[in-house]
Amino acid sequence: MKTLVTVKRVPDPETTIRVKPDGSGIVTDNIKYVINPFDEIAIEEALRIKEKQGGGEVVLVSIGGKSVTEQLRTGLAMGADRAILVLCEQPLDSLAVAKLLTKLVEKETPELVLMGKQAIDDDSNQAGQMLAALLEWPQATFASKIDFAADQKSATVIREVDGGLETIGFALPAIITTDLRLNEPRYASLPGIMKARKKEIKEIPVADLGADITPRLTVVKMAPPPKKEAGKKVETVQALLDLLHTEAKVI
Amino acid sequence: MDFSLLEEHRMLQETVRRFVKQELMPLEPLVLQRDTQGLTGEDLLPNDVEDRLHARAHEAGLGGLDVPEEFGGLNLGTLPKCLANEALHHTITPFTFPPDAPNLHMLMQTCTPEQREKYLLPYARGEQRSAIAISEPGAGSDPAGMQTTAVKKGDQWVINGRKIWISRAHVADFIIVMAVTDKGKGSRGGMTAFLVDKGTPGLVLQRQIPVIGSHAPWEVVFEDMTIPDSQVLGQLGHGFAPMQLRLTVRRLEIGSWCVGMAQRCLDMMVDYAKQRVTFGQRLADRQAIQWFIADSATDIHASRLMTYHGAWKFDNGEDVRQEASMLKVFATEMATRVADRAMQTHGGMGMSKELPLEFIYRRLRPMRIFEGPTEVHRWVIARSLLKD
Ligand SMILES: Cc1cc2nc3c(=O)[nH]c(=O)nc-3n(C[C@H](O)[C@H](O)[C@H](O)COP(=O)(O)OP(=O)(O)OC[C@H]3O[C@@H](n4cnc5c(N)ncnc54)[C@H](O)[C@@H]3O)c2cc1C
Repeated sequence: MKTLVTVKRVPDPETTIRVKPDGSGIVTDNIKYVINPFDEIAIEEALRIKEKQGGGEVVLVSIGGKSVTEQLRTGLAMGADRAILVLCEQPLDSLAVAKLLTKLVEKETPELVLMGKQAIDDDSNQAGQMLAALLEWPQATFASKIDFAADQKSATVIREVDGGLETIGFALPAIITTDLRLNEPRYASLPGIMKARKKEIKEIPVADLGADITPRLTVVKMAPPPKKEAGKKVETVQALLDLLHTEAKVI
Repeated sequence: MDFSLLEEHRMLQETVRRFVKQELMPLEPLVLQRDTQGLTGEDLLPNDVEDRLHARAHEAGLGGLDVPEEFGGLNLGTLPKCLANEALHHTITPFTFPPDAPNLHMLMQTCTPEQREKYLLPYARGEQRSAIAISEPGAGSDPAGMQTTAVKKGDQWVINGRKIWISRAHVADFIIVMAVTDKGKGSRGGMTAFLVDKGTPGLVLQRQIPVIGSHAPWEVVFEDMTIPDSQVLGQLGHGFAPMQLRLTVRRLEIGSWCVGMAQRCLDMMVDYAKQRVTFGQRLADRQAIQWFIADSATDIHASRLMTYHGAWKFDNGEDVRQEASMLKVFATEMATRVADRAMQTHGGMGMSKELPLEFIYRRLRPMRIFEGPTEVHRWVIARSLLKD
């Protein structure tokens, strides 16, 4: 099976994020970047599928500047076969990303597109859904388990939904987005790192794909979450009720 | 001049950091607990845990970093090895990717084809452990003064003498033993290295000596220990130079250990300073603590650059004995300063054995002694600058 896996470069979730004073974005100096953790799960799943099926191809795709090469190389070191980097310096909204991916899917004709359920930087959680709509393919979002029929023509996915699990079946080709519990990604092994040196990262200028990426969405302002204030101790239940009513205004 | 690490070096660093975070960090409470029970060295981790770690490291291909390809390694060199060591020393959980010591570099220079099969290859693959016996009760800083003798009888060598402070002697599959073969020539042509297998008759592990830190080296005695001529390692009488090479690599590695340990201390100091409130203000808002932090970060930065530079220069085939001495002195003293500041910042918690700081502090102390004490390195550095 040929699987296309999307990879986004995002700030390391362990770094402290600071919003610029003018609210135009985050401070990017000295920030460490990593593969979006959900995408990493997607890469791991694609590799497991390939290992289990005893064949196939895992192709990584990313959209961004040259610096994304680092994350793609890491994915290749995990074991992916090759990578495509759509060179694009401008910020993109989810729809533009989905449109660019549509073009790539048409070129690459994979049986499966595996994506993170969301990117942890802007948490949009829509590129996968939009891509499925544009391609008119079935989609299974928030996957926590994926199985394929013996003929590899259809799949069963267990989805994490509010209040439980949902099992759905659908025909391939399809889009699947990954949730946290799907797997635990391997780390790039040392021999993997050495092999990745020789693997291909094909660069495509964004204009060559001929997709309409005009922004439909503008980020007006970013603001840090309000600082958590220290708690208060109250003497009696009555005092608590009063404060919930007068101060917190929740009852 | 380009200071950036290669992409593959950064990826290696990332992989080791993950290994540390996922495999080693969770074991810290166990290590601290076993440390307070008096367990040391190889016993800080239960055998089954250590076996599991080795299996995990093997899966991730984390071995033989600086082993040449012809010996089954990855031939990445000493710089990546130092990067890995730095990351490994963010945690107090003791773990080394095989091979266990820079004895590799000594063996590579000296092994015969037969010795290569029997010792170098299994060692490079991580299947065998090694020790090196240089120091003696009467000769530490000055190994040229050693008394252990090896006398040829027919095609055998008979070794007599006493070595002390020999790390890992009890777990080593073989020990590299330095002995005098020509008293008149001393370290210039009169000192030879021998490969001694575990269990060789006459090899006596006299006693284990608990020392500060998690070490417990051995006193080892040779009583008419007889080994065949084929156990001579390298050229007869010329054991000193390959031994020096091995020590140089170890000094670079010690630099990277110190950077890793000091970084851990700094990270802990920064976290704690932001949380701890005294007299109505965070420690982070006090200049005294800010200076601890600023000085520590500066110290670490300097040592890191010295380590990377020394390793890089070594990988380029240049002589780095002087840099290695400077690094050994500077990095061990700097990590001691940083650990001390971190303990001070933590107050009573800094003294407790429930945090890793006290363990790190103890572990650092012998590093100013082994692989050449600080004073001797300073002397060597100055001597080379002052000579005509
Ligand atoms: C934990 C640990 C593990 C060790 N592992 C090994 C091992 O595996 N194999 C091995 O062979 N050895 C090992 N050693 C031994 C170590 O290398 C020696 O202890 C070290 O070389 C110092 O020798 P010494 O103890 O005889 O001290 P000495 O040489 O007696 O030195 C004592 C003091 O005098 C100072 N001094 C000496 N000469 C001078 C000088 N010229 N100018 C100024 N000051 C000087 C020294 O700096 C030191 O402070 C280990 C030691 C320890 C503590």
